[in-house]
Amino acid sequence: MKDDNHPHIVNYKEHFGTWIGLMILTVMTVVVSVTNANLQMLTVLTALTIATTKAVLVAYYYMHLKFDQKIYRIMLWVVMGLFVSFMILTIIDYITR
Amino acid sequence: MGHLVLPNSGHNRDPEANKMGMWLFLFTELLLFGGLFIVYFVYRSMNSDAFLHASYELDVIIGTINTVILITSSMTIAMSITALQKGNKKLAMYLLWATQAFALAFLVNKYFEWGIKIEHGIFPGLDHYNHMPSGEKLFFFLYYFMTGLHALHIIVGGIFIGVVMKKVQKGEVTGERISLLENSGLYWHLVDLIWIYLFPLFYLIH
Repeated sequence: MKDDNHPHIVNYKEHFGTWIGLMILTVMTVVVSVTNANLQMLTVLTALTIATTKAVLVAYYYMHLKFDQKIYRIMLWVVMGLFVSFMILTIIDYITR
Repeated sequence: MGHLVLPNSGHNRDPEANKMGMWLFLFTELLLFGGLFIVYFVYRSMNSDAFLHASYELDVIIGTINTVILITSSMTIAMSITALQKGNKKLAMYLLWATQAFALAFLVNKYFEWGIKIEHGIFPGLDHYNHMPSGEKLFFFLYYFMTGLHALHIIVGGIFIGVVMKKVQKGEVTGERISLLENSGLYWHLVDLIWIYLFPLFYLIH
């Protein structure tokens, strides 16, 4: 139970490393968008994939999810799963009308 | 070394419950913006050409600068938690000031970005807007609504961080009782997370 009083302290280097990762992904997403003007659908998918990678980085490192109890990760993925299923159902509804 | 804390020592603190409560609140925020993202995807699928055309009106450079600003501010507030946990109050305060400065810079950029568009009459009710095809109207309506709601969150986050700074200064928030700072950090990261999706969906969809 010692850990209750001494939570994991994320060091500065780790925060900076996360920042570098986020910057690289930001540059990637801008470059993909500016150079691939014609690949509409693919551009959207790439943009969303990169955005989600960035979101996971922010959630796991900056929001400490990686070091927190498992329950927070489970809750987040359940909520995201719920949201994505709402979204897919709505989109299927519009496509099949 | 404070290993032995009596069950009720007058301080009914529960950092874990604080954090859990904050996360539950953040989930409601995610679903609030999530609903708007679904609206965006549906209207986009119905007006893809108009959305594409309208997105060229947005300035990718300002959008990118704001993305960099928000990501950097996320790093400074995360580092301020580390600093306070290590007992370096002064550094923590500097990092929180930096976070506030980035928040302000973001809003200033947003102000100019909106200002230029409104000057050109692109705002619901203005002349140029009223003569646009309906798909482009939808794009700009969603743009103003979603980035506006996001900017409101930036303002609220700035106030929240300001309150926490005051408490850090007074010694009410310390390395031992850091919940409030951690929660303001979580809120700030959420604001960053939402921008991470807003940016490509509005600025980069061409």
